[in-house]
Amino acid sequence: MFLSSAETGRRYIVEKIALPFETQRRLEALGMTHRAPVDVLNRKGKGILIIRLRGTRFALGRNITENIEVEPDETV
Amino acid sequence: MRPFKRKCCGGAQDTVKKPDDYSMTIAFLGNPNCGKTTLFNAYTGANLKVANWPGVTVEKVEGAYKFKDEKIRLVDLPGIYSLTSYTMEETVSRNFILSGDADVVINVVDASCLERGLYLTLQLLELGKPVVIALNMMDIVLKRGMEIDLHRLPEMLGVPVIPVSARKRTGLDILIHAAVHHKDATGPDRLIHEHKDVSRHAHDHHSEYTMVYSDDIEDMIDETEAALLNKYPQIENVRWHAIKTLERDGEVTGKYPLERAETPADVESEIINQKYSFIGEVIDEVMVHKQRSDALTDKLDRAFTHRIWGIPIFLGIMAAVFFLTFFIGDLIKSLLELGIGALSDATAKGLASANASEIVVSLLVDGIIGGVGTIITFLPNIFILFLALAFLEDSGYMARVAYVMEGVMSRLGLSGKAFIPMLLGFGCTVPAIMASRALESKRDRFKVMLVTPFMSCSARLTIYILFAEMFFAGYAFLAAFSMYLLGILVAIAVSAVLHLIDRKKEVNYLLIELPEYKLPDARTVGIYVWEKVKDYLLKAGTTIFIATLIIWALMYFGPDGFVGEGSDKSFAAIIGGPLSVAFVPIGLGFWEIVVALIAGISAKEVVVSSCAVLFGIADASANTAGFAAALEGIGFGPLNAVCLMVFCLLYIPCTATLATIRKESKSVAWTAFAAFFQLAVAYVITLIVYQIGLLIV
Repeated sequence: MFLSSAETGRRYIVEKIALPFETQRRLEALGMTHRAPVDVLNRKGKGILIIRLRGTRFALGRNITENIEVEPDETV
Repeated sequence: MRPFKRKCCGGAQDTVKKPDDYSMTIAFLGNPNCGKTTLFNAYTGANLKVANWPGVTVEKVEGAYKFKDEKIRLVDLPGIYSLTSYTMEETVSRNFILSGDADVVINVVDASCLERGLYLTLQLLELGKPVVIALNMMDIVLKRGMEIDLHRLPEMLGVPVIPVSARKRTGLDILIHAAVHHKDATGPDRLIHEHKDVSRHAHDHHSEYTMVYSDDIEDMIDETEAALLNKYPQIENVRWHAIKTLERDGEVTGKYPLERAETPADVESEIINQKYSFIGEVIDEVMVHKQRSDALTDKLDRAFTHRIWGIPIFLGIMAAVFFLTFFIGDLIKSLLELGIGALSDATAKGLASANASEIVVSLLVDGIIGGVGTIITFLPNIFILFLALAFLEDSGYMARVAYVMEGVMSRLGLSGKAFIPMLLGFGCTVPAIMASRALESKRDRFKVMLVTPFMSCSARLTIYILFAEMFFAGYAFLAAFSMYLLGILVAIAVSAVLHLIDRKKEVNYLLIELPEYKLPDARTVGIYVWEKVKDYLLKAGTTIFIATLIIWALMYFGPDGFVGEGSDKSFAAIIGGPLSVAFVPIGLGFWEIVVALIAGISAKEVVVSSCAVLFGIADASANTAGFAAALEGIGFGPLNAVCLMVFCLLYIPCTATLATIRKESKSVAWTAFAAFFQLAVAYVITLIVYQIGLLIV
């Protein structure tokens, strides 16, 4: 599944990111790497999200979230 | 142990000479919104703008601090998340650190957000610079019941860690003392790590480097180091270059290319992951009573970023801001008006009894008191407006606006982040255009530069207040608020058209940190508002004063010498008369208004002061009845007033804005285009308003 369809209040694990080089690098520098945990705090529209990544809140546009493949973290 | 090199590696090798009278240079580096500027202000006594959203500082700023007998140069850098730079601010900061200009780097880390801050710290340590960590916001950490083991943290990082609170100004001397003593550090202090894995790697790096990777990665680093040294024997800090080569950093691989297969993408990912796992280890050891999130922020965000109520709440907040600006501002304004009115009368009487010449009386009463005095009376409104904006900026709400507006903005081909400069435009267009630097895409920056001037700035507020109150008495607030809405609508419409005709449809990626909410800080808000009030008074005393004098001279003199008030023989009438023909279709075909509009390009308030002078009204805002009568005398009614407000909202921005657009776009042609474009938009929209108005009235 993609992060854009993630539910509020759940944790997901990043599987794959398919974004243009620079955007992908920016996200990776923020800690959005393979197997990184992402908490979804809020969402609106078709995938505009507020997430917590490595201890910090970020707002992400749909163009980003629909290109991040995640799987729900079943351990929490 | 391999020595740490002072002058290092990669990037821009600027050889900027330190001014001789400084004994050393200290740079502040850290994540956006971690308090670098607050710290810088505390040391230097500067009043740089501070607020609670990422990206407030977009330029490198320098200051001086005297410590004992040493004069130290301090450099405040824009906040960055990593030393792999992709935005303008990141480039500025990275290049400065790489230039070797700084003797010591003070790495400011927000203690309440340790995980994020330490990632940059690890990168900085790999660079091999002398680093001292300023653990900021310790007061917030303590308040939340968290504790940080300040003995263990420096052991794990190998550099001094000084707890400070930039807001409360504690720990400042100790921090500088540590930095001064650490400037000749040639390697990390004693490192004590307790890694669980047993390494089979040929070298034991654990006593040498803070960040040691897995054996696989360390093998790759060794191999790359060997290849680099073989090809570039003089290379400095080869480990950093090797890691950057493995990370496929464009600048490093461009400067030191190696002929071999590129490293697979997952190596880079792995390097980042291992840094974060090490940070995890650090946090597990040093953080006592971990509290993951701030309950207040969660609660407030439930309302402010609500999927349905987010936008109505935002509009409500803005309406409240303008309501306060109007009504509370006006209460105080009426007091000022009394004072200025009295001053005007006293001056006129005093001069009359002293038998002063008609020209001198006119200059003082009609020119200076009439023009500049009128502008001063708006100070309370300006004060309230900036006070409200300071609250919005320092509370943490600003970054939320990017999220709230993302849906609307993405339909216009812009990122929600582009709305932040536009919102700042309600205060003043100049810093708003500067703020557009935080946008990643160059196309976005140019679009924002083009539409931000349509947002009603505080200068235009004076025009609305004067004309709305004169012609629409009870509905003045509605008339003025509708100008604000019109400005937003025009900005949105122009963005939409640009998006439609933009063939190279760029996709926008909203990515912005949302800081935690906090109660605005009195000192921060005070500095912010005081700087704005000072700017306004300074502008009244310089630009507006000079423009008003010129208008007075053009108005009261003609080819035949002193011609007195409102004469068709004045220079103003001679200049404005022929031009006013072009303004007839938009309801502004009056030579006085045309002259005021031309003068208003110097600063928008000059439209008000010029009108006061041109119609010979001393203190126009107090004497609205006299002013309205003078205007109606030339056939200028409510519809014309609306047209004037609309035209002033949209036409050529002030010279300060134009200069900023030129500086930021680095293009005279683009600046000229922007000015012409805005004039055209203003003309067309005012034309529509006037023609429709004529049908209704």
